[in-house]
Amino acid sequence: MPIGFVVRRVRSSLRELLWSHMLTSATMAMSLFVFGAFMVLQENLQHFLTGLGDQIQVNVYLEKELAAADALRLLARIRTFPEVERARHVTQEQAWRDFKAALGAQSSLLDGLPPDVLPSSFEISLKPAFRDGPVIAQLADRLKKEKGIAAVEYPQEWVERLSLVVLAVQWLKWLLGGVLFLAAFFIVGSTVKLAILARQDEIEIMQLVGASEELIQAPFVLEGMIQGVAAGAFSIACLWALFQSLRRQLASSGGWFASPEQLRFLDLESIALLLVIGWLLGAAGSLFALRRFVRTWKS
Amino acid sequence: MQNALVFMIQLFHVSKTYPPKSQALTDINLEIGRGEIVFLAGPSGAGKTTLLKLLFRAEEPSDGRILIDGKNITRLNSRGIARLRREIGLVFQEFRLLPRLSALENVALAAEVVGMPRKESHTKAYQLLRELGLKDRYEAKPLTLSGGEQQRVAIARALVNDPPIVLADEPTGNLDPEAADETMKLLLKIREKGTTILIASHDLELIKRYGSRMIALRQGRVADDLHRVTPAGGAP
Repeated sequence: MPIGFVVRRVRSSLRELLWSHMLTSATMAMSLFVFGAFMVLQENLQHFLTGLGDQIQVNVYLEKELAAADALRLLARIRTFPEVERARHVTQEQAWRDFKAALGAQSSLLDGLPPDVLPSSFEISLKPAFRDGPVIAQLADRLKKEKGIAAVEYPQEWVERLSLVVLAVQWLKWLLGGVLFLAAFFIVGSTVKLAILARQDEIEIMQLVGASEELIQAPFVLEGMIQGVAAGAFSIACLWALFQSLRRQLASSGGWFASPEQLRFLDLESIALLLVIGWLLGAAGSLFALRRFVRTWKS
Repeated sequence: MQNALVFMIQLFHVSKTYPPKSQALTDINLEIGRGEIVFLAGPSGAGKTTLLKLLFRAEEPSDGRILIDGKNITRLNSRGIARLRREIGLVFQEFRLLPRLSALENVALAAEVVGMPRKESHTKAYQLLRELGLKDRYEAKPLTLSGGEQQRVAIARALVNDPPIVLADEPTGNLDPEAADETMKLLLKIREKGTTILIASHDLELIKRYGSRMIALRQGRVADDLHRVTPAGGAP
């Protein structure tokens, strides 16, 4: 295929139908922007949850009769579980001291109670990949079956709710993104149709002098791809500008969000994903429009 | 096999029906020799344009067989059609030039789409335009050219890929007598290179003036074939 010829045709089409191409790119960029905004939100929520996840721990209460040596053996065994990041043994004395410290001025309420009233326990922190509700529930069931363990507790509701929020954002991102992408797909198709109509005489002449179907179609597909990638790049730039302005505002407000520098923008993979989605949308929209026109040419 | 070498265009029992039941051509049998110049005559609606369209496969015959240079072109896919058209130069009554391109670019476009490098295609286009007397007009846009000049640009475009066949549909239909004369002389000159030329025209005076072999169509049938088929290189 004569590449130079294709490039020249794309260049002249972009020049001649500049506004229509720009409008299409802007529409696509809007869809990609909304999708990207959800990506940023999801990324930050995930980051926030990871931070919270450090505080999520499973408490394992030991039977009072369990000998100290057996408790240490059990602790060593639990530390080998793939989900476990850290496990700490809290003895009865330590638990009593911690409880008293937590009560502070009201610690006198405990006067008269024996110091071994609280059971010894293990505080287990989980690896980030295992901080999902169902995984923690499974681990808790497994722990309950171990000899010497009286009870297992974990903040079930919290874990499940937070996981649900992330899941909801993820679904919303794809649902809203899907609808917007579909709209963008048809808009690209319409622009390509416009470009085809504007060049119908040229296409006819090319067909009459023996141009292959691929050569006739290639410039339109390339145009769609360029529009898509430009839209992707533009949406990323807008997201970046919005992100920076939000971060500055949060920093100056000094309110509830103490450290705006913790806010995260899209990583390289997500940026590449936005560009690839734009590229694919452009190519697919063009091919869809061309498929219909080629059918017309053949009839 | 020998026929395939002598004849450039062969039609065997070719018919064309447009839906629902409009019979444009009926049982056409034709053989046109390599390097021959043939006029396709007949009134409007006789089937001249349909016959030309079948030859460059803008239409598919409903029945019969068409051979171009011995190759059957009756059923072709889009790639086959594109390949066939590279072997055929087309000239139309309404010139069909692209108004936003210069004369040179119009001619070069036909070469570029079949893979000729830009520089080479422009050089060749310029040479052709010079040969056709448009040396000083190669940068002009079609709408600034006279009818005769536009048709010369169209002829240059038809010739830029050195096709063995040129099909011309009423090439003088939009031209004044002087320009028509000029165009006909050019087409006859092309034949000197051994190109097979088929010209559709309803202008009997013109055909008589330049005519060699004339095939007359009437209501989609061959009514007359006034000369015998001329073998390669032979004079009509």
